[in-house]
Amino acid sequence: MVITIKLRGSLIKYFNGQREKTIEVPLDCSAEEALKLAGIDWPKIENFGFVAINGKRVMIYDKLQDGDELKAYSKISGG
Amino acid sequence: MLGYQNNILRINLTKKEAKTEPLRMDWAEKYIGSKGLSIKYLYEELKPGIDPLSPENKLIFMTGPLTGTSVPCSGKLAIAGKSPATGTICDCSIGGHSALKIKYAGYDAVILEGKLDKPGYLFIENDKITFEDAAELWGKGSHEAEAMLIDKYGHDYSVISIGPAGETLCTMACINSDYYRQAGRGGMGAVMGSKNLKAVVVNGTGGVKIPNIKEAVKRIAEIEKEDTLQEDNTFVYDGGTTAFLEACQDGGILPKLNFSDTTDEDWTKYNGEVLLESLEGKRGCGSCGLGCGNFLKMGDVVCEGPEYESISVAGPNAGNSDPVAIVKANQVADDMGLDTISAGDTIIWAMEMTEKGIHDFGVRFGEMDKYIEYLKLIARKEGIGAELALGVKKLSEKYGGTDFAMQVKGLEYPQYEPRGSWGMSLAYAVSDRGACHMRAYAPNEEVFAASIPPYTPEGKGEMVFNLAQWNAVKFSLCICDFWGTLNMELMAELMTLATGKEWTAADMAEVGTRVINIARAFNQREGFTAKDDTAPKRLFNEALKNGPGAGQKIPEEAFEDMKQQYYKVLGWDENGMLPESLLATL
Repeated sequence: MVITIKLRGSLIKYFNGQREKTIEVPLDCSAEEALKLAGIDWPKIENFGFVAINGKRVMIYDKLQDGDELKAYSKISGG
Repeated sequence: MLGYQNNILRINLTKKEAKTEPLRMDWAEKYIGSKGLSIKYLYEELKPGIDPLSPENKLIFMTGPLTGTSVPCSGKLAIAGKSPATGTICDCSIGGHSALKIKYAGYDAVILEGKLDKPGYLFIENDKITFEDAAELWGKGSHEAEAMLIDKYGHDYSVISIGPAGETLCTMACINSDYYRQAGRGGMGAVMGSKNLKAVVVNGTGGVKIPNIKEAVKRIAEIEKEDTLQEDNTFVYDGGTTAFLEACQDGGILPKLNFSDTTDEDWTKYNGEVLLESLEGKRGCGSCGLGCGNFLKMGDVVCEGPEYESISVAGPNAGNSDPVAIVKANQVADDMGLDTISAGDTIIWAMEMTEKGIHDFGVRFGEMDKYIEYLKLIARKEGIGAELALGVKKLSEKYGGTDFAMQVKGLEYPQYEPRGSWGMSLAYAVSDRGACHMRAYAPNEEVFAASIPPYTPEGKGEMVFNLAQWNAVKFSLCICDFWGTLNMELMAELMTLATGKEWTAADMAEVGTRVINIARAFNQREGFTAKDDTAPKRLFNEALKNGPGAGQKIPEEAFEDMKQQYYKVLGWDENGMLPESLLATL
C-alpha cells in the first residue's frame, strides 16, 4: 500500500530538507515500521516528538491504512 | 558578584524623586535576577492586602546578571507587581531592547513607587532622570505614543508604554515595548496606568563587567553555535510560534469555540504557511540569536506576530478562520495595550453566553468585526466594553456561565486544551499568577514529546514541578523561552561565566524551587489556598468530541490527585500551604 510521510520541525533533515515523501509499505504496517522504511530510526533521534495519522496524534505502534498520511514531529518548546 | 551593576534605581513618582541604592546581593545569590529577584523584592516590600491599583503597589523592571552580555536570548526584562487581575504576585517577561538599555544605563532594576499627580512619562538616560508631561500622549494607542517618543528622542532609546487599556485601569492591560513586545498577562499595564505613567523612555551607554571577558566571550560564542543555534531551536526563526498551530491541531489540544471542543477542520486557512505568505520582515530582541519576530502585512494591517496564542483565541476559539481578522485583532489589541489572551477569552466567553441564550452580549461565534470592535471598547471601557472589561471570572459570577468560564484566580486560560494534556490543567491551577502556560508547559512532555501519557494523573505532579523549576531558573536568568535545549548544567555554566562565582546545576535547581516557593508564599500571605487552585467545570463534565482525545474529560478526583502530588513534591501541606520550615528559607 502507499502512504505519505510528512516531516515537521528539525526532522526534515532526514528527507534532505523535503517536507514529505510518498512511499510503498507492506499491509498492516505500523507508523514505526513505515518511518524505518523511510530511513528514520526514531528511537535514535533524541529530539523525536510524536506521530499523527491523518491529523490525529497516535502511538508509534499504531497501524496504517492505504492512502494514509503519517506525520512525524520533532519536539517543540516554548509557548 | 560580577554580572550585576550592584545598583537599583528607585523612583518615587509621588515625590518625583529618583534615588539609587545597592542591589541586595544576598537576595541576588538566592534568587538570581528577573523573575526570582523581582518577586523577592515585592515579597519584602509590599504590605499584604494592598490594592494593586493603589500607589502602595510597586512596579519593578528587573534585569538579570546575563542581561547586556553576549549570552544568546538573554534580552528579556521582568516586569512585576501585585496583579489587579488576580490579587496574586505577577511577573511577566518582555522582549525587545529595554532590558539592555536599563542595564547599560547602570541599573539592575528600576523600582517604581507611588503615583504621578498627572499623566507623565519617565526619561532615563544613564544617571539623568527626568519626569515629563504626557498630556499629548495620554489617550493614544501604544504604537502612536511610542512613535511620538521615538520621533522626539531617536532610535537609540527604548520605550516601555501602555495603551488606553492601561489608562482606564483595565485589568487585562499589558505593557508594550518596541511596539510589539508585551508584558502581557495579569494587568501590569493597569498598574502602570494607576501610577499615571504612560511610558518610560530609557537609554544607557555603559556596559556590563564580567570576569575573564576574553575567555567568557569565546565560550559563550561556542555555546551559541553548539547549542542555541541548533535546529531544535531555530524552528522559531522559520515560523515563530505559528509552528505550534499544526502540532496543537494534530496533538488534540487546539481549543475551539471557547474550549467546548478541540481541533478545527479549517486550520489550514490560517496556519503558519498562510500567514507567512504575507511576511514583510524579521527581527529579534536584544542579544537574541533566534529572531522569532515576523512582521506581516495583510491588506492594510501591519503587525508583528501573531503568536500562536493570538491565532488560536481569535481563530478557532472564536469560530473564525479568516487570517486577516486574526492579524487585525492582534494589531488592535497590541495598540490598545490589551492582553490578547485575556481580552480574547472574555469575548469568546461572551460569544458562548449569547449562543446559549444565557445572556445576550451582542456577539456570536464568528462575528470578527464585533470581536475587533469589542477589543477597542474593552480597552476604553466604553459601552459594553465597560462590562466586558471585568474579565471572565467576575462576569461569570454576575451573569452565570461559570462552568465554561475558562480562568484560574481571575486570569483567563491560554490556548492549550487541558483535556488533551491533563498536566496542563494542573499547571494552570498552580501557576503563581493564575492560568498561565509559561510556568509549566505540560504539552512539551505529554503531547509533543509523548514521553508521558496525557490522559492520566499519574506522575503529573512531578512533571509539572520539573517544568516549573526549569522555567523559574530560566526566567530568573532573563533568558527567552525559545532556547528550548537549555538545561540546568548550561544555565549554571552561564551564571559562572557571568558572575565569577561557581554555580552547579544543583545550585540552579535549588534557586528554581526557591522561586516557586516565594511566589507561593506571596500568594499564601494574600489568602490563597488549595481551594483557589481550580479548573473550570467544563474540563470535568464535558468530554471532547473530536481529535485524538475524543471522549476525554478529566475526572475531578484525578485533578485533585494531581494537585496533591504537586504539593507533596514541594513539601507543601494538603491545603497547598508552605510550612513554617520552608517559609524560613526564603
